[in-house]
Amino acid sequence: MVEELTPRPPGPVRPGPLVGLLPLVVVIWGFVAVYLLQLAIDAGGQARQREKAVEEMMYFPSGRFMRPASIEYQVLAADIVWLRAVQYYGYHLMTDRKYEWLGHIFEILTELDPRFIGAYHFGALTLAWDANNPDEALQLLRLGMRRNPTSWQLPFDAGFITYMLTRDYEMAARYFRIAAELPGAWHVTQRWAAVAAGRAGSFEVARDMWLEIYQGTENRRIRELAVRQLRAVKVSQDTARLQEAVNRFREDRGRLPVGLAELVRAGYTVSLPEEPYGGRYYLEADRVRSSTPARERD
Amino acid sequence: MIGRIRAIALNTFREAIRDKVLLTLIVFAVLVMASAKVIQPLALGEEQKVVQDLGLAALTLFCVLIAVLVGGRLVYKEVEKRTIYIVLAKPVRRWEFIVGKYFGLMTVLAASVAVMGAAFYAILLLTGVPLSAYPLIAMVMTVFQLAILTAVAILFSTFVTPIASAVFTFAVYLVGHLTRDLRLLAAMSPSPVIKALSQFLYYVLPNLSNFNVRGEVVHGVALDPGALVLSALYALVYAATLLLVAVAAFSRRDF
Repeated sequence: MVEELTPRPPGPVRPGPLVGLLPLVVVIWGFVAVYLLQLAIDAGGQARQREKAVEEMMYFPSGRFMRPASIEYQVLAADIVWLRAVQYYGYHLMTDRKYEWLGHIFEILTELDPRFIGAYHFGALTLAWDANNPDEALQLLRLGMRRNPTSWQLPFDAGFITYMLTRDYEMAARYFRIAAELPGAWHVTQRWAAVAAGRAGSFEVARDMWLEIYQGTENRRIRELAVRQLRAVKVSQDTARLQEAVNRFREDRGRLPVGLAELVRAGYTVSLPEEPYGGRYYLEADRVRSSTPARERD
Repeated sequence: MIGRIRAIALNTFREAIRDKVLLTLIVFAVLVMASAKVIQPLALGEEQKVVQDLGLAALTLFCVLIAVLVGGRLVYKEVEKRTIYIVLAKPVRRWEFIVGKYFGLMTVLAASVAVMGAAFYAILLLTGVPLSAYPLIAMVMTVFQLAILTAVAILFSTFVTPIASAVFTFAVYLVGHLTRDLRLLAAMSPSPVIKALSQFLYYVLPNLSNFNVRGEVVHGVALDPGALVLSALYALVYAATLLLVAVAAFSRRDF
């Protein structure tokens, strides 16, 4: 009875088919808004994103702080720093060729993972040739040698840098001999020890050494570095050879050749070598030069 | 006695493997390991090292999280849901309950290490890294580290809430990896009190860096078998001692 008298409460309003989709639409729009906001944030300094990620590292006081901070994941932290180091190097290689923090990055990296031989190897070669800082490179290698006394790679690199850049041939030979006696040493080490002891600072030796560095690595960046150095060695070697022919021509005939082609015609050289950067060699007054300006070589 | 412990352990194991937290953590671990495939091309000749470092680190970190998150709820949940009354009304002693819980969770962790270890080797195959049995040593040492952490988690679980237990256990994990550094820092301090205190803490707190051999394993450096055996013994003795404390704490509670 009561039921009949009491008006029935209105039943739940049946939502239209679109109302059920509303939360989904809101969520999708939420993500779209987040996406747009992030785009706006990144637009501020997109070009500098990569550089910024690396620059953060200069705020790290040192690897000594990073070690405890990464709990038991030091080796993984070293890998992350390694990926950043590779990015940092690649970025500056493409842009300004300034490698201000390279040494610091490799110091952190090797403090986190003192056995990371690949990091000492890459760090030393790039510090020595790209950052023009062979002293810092040798310092890094000596640190690595103290921590890894059985690794032949580190004294080998130290010998290579000492031979090519600081040109202390006696010291270089000593480094190569240390490397040659360590287990698993590369077969070329013994020969290089002999070459360094003979103090032969010739282009052929430099070319052979860079060729062997090229063949001995899987690191793409080190290969590129070796190719750059091989080209540089070739230019120096060609220029020196042509200069010598010019000098002989002048001694014989009492005048300079009109152009380098005259050297070939007169039989002072078999042919004009190809310039590795796509330019050509030419004679300016009495000096042989390459037409590629130094800053465009590579 | 052994039958009762086994029954509790088995029950704990069954309960834990139905837990969504466990499944989620294992899936995440495998995803992190698989991300090595993406990172690989950026590693410039160091692919083997990066893939193995990432895999072993993910295995350790996610197993630690399992011990902390699942272990921290074990005993508390029984008390909260009043199921402890049913268990303790049966002829089960309190210490058997704690030990059973411990072995149940250790079985879960060993199974997780096995699953993640299989995923680790699958990813090595996928990324073309040469296989070796050496990483297994790092995984076994991780299990010994987990033996201590699980005991810590169960100890906290007997008297604090799951969140507090997880936070405290994780704090012990962090400190356990810092004790060596703390001692080195304290050695430089002029105060004899700080020196003595740091020595005391160094020996009382678990020294978890004993169990981290991943760097040596990935670089193929020879490990000292004597040190490994001593570390394993250390874990067993430390965990047993903590379990005694947990049993004492649990026995004092009124139900």
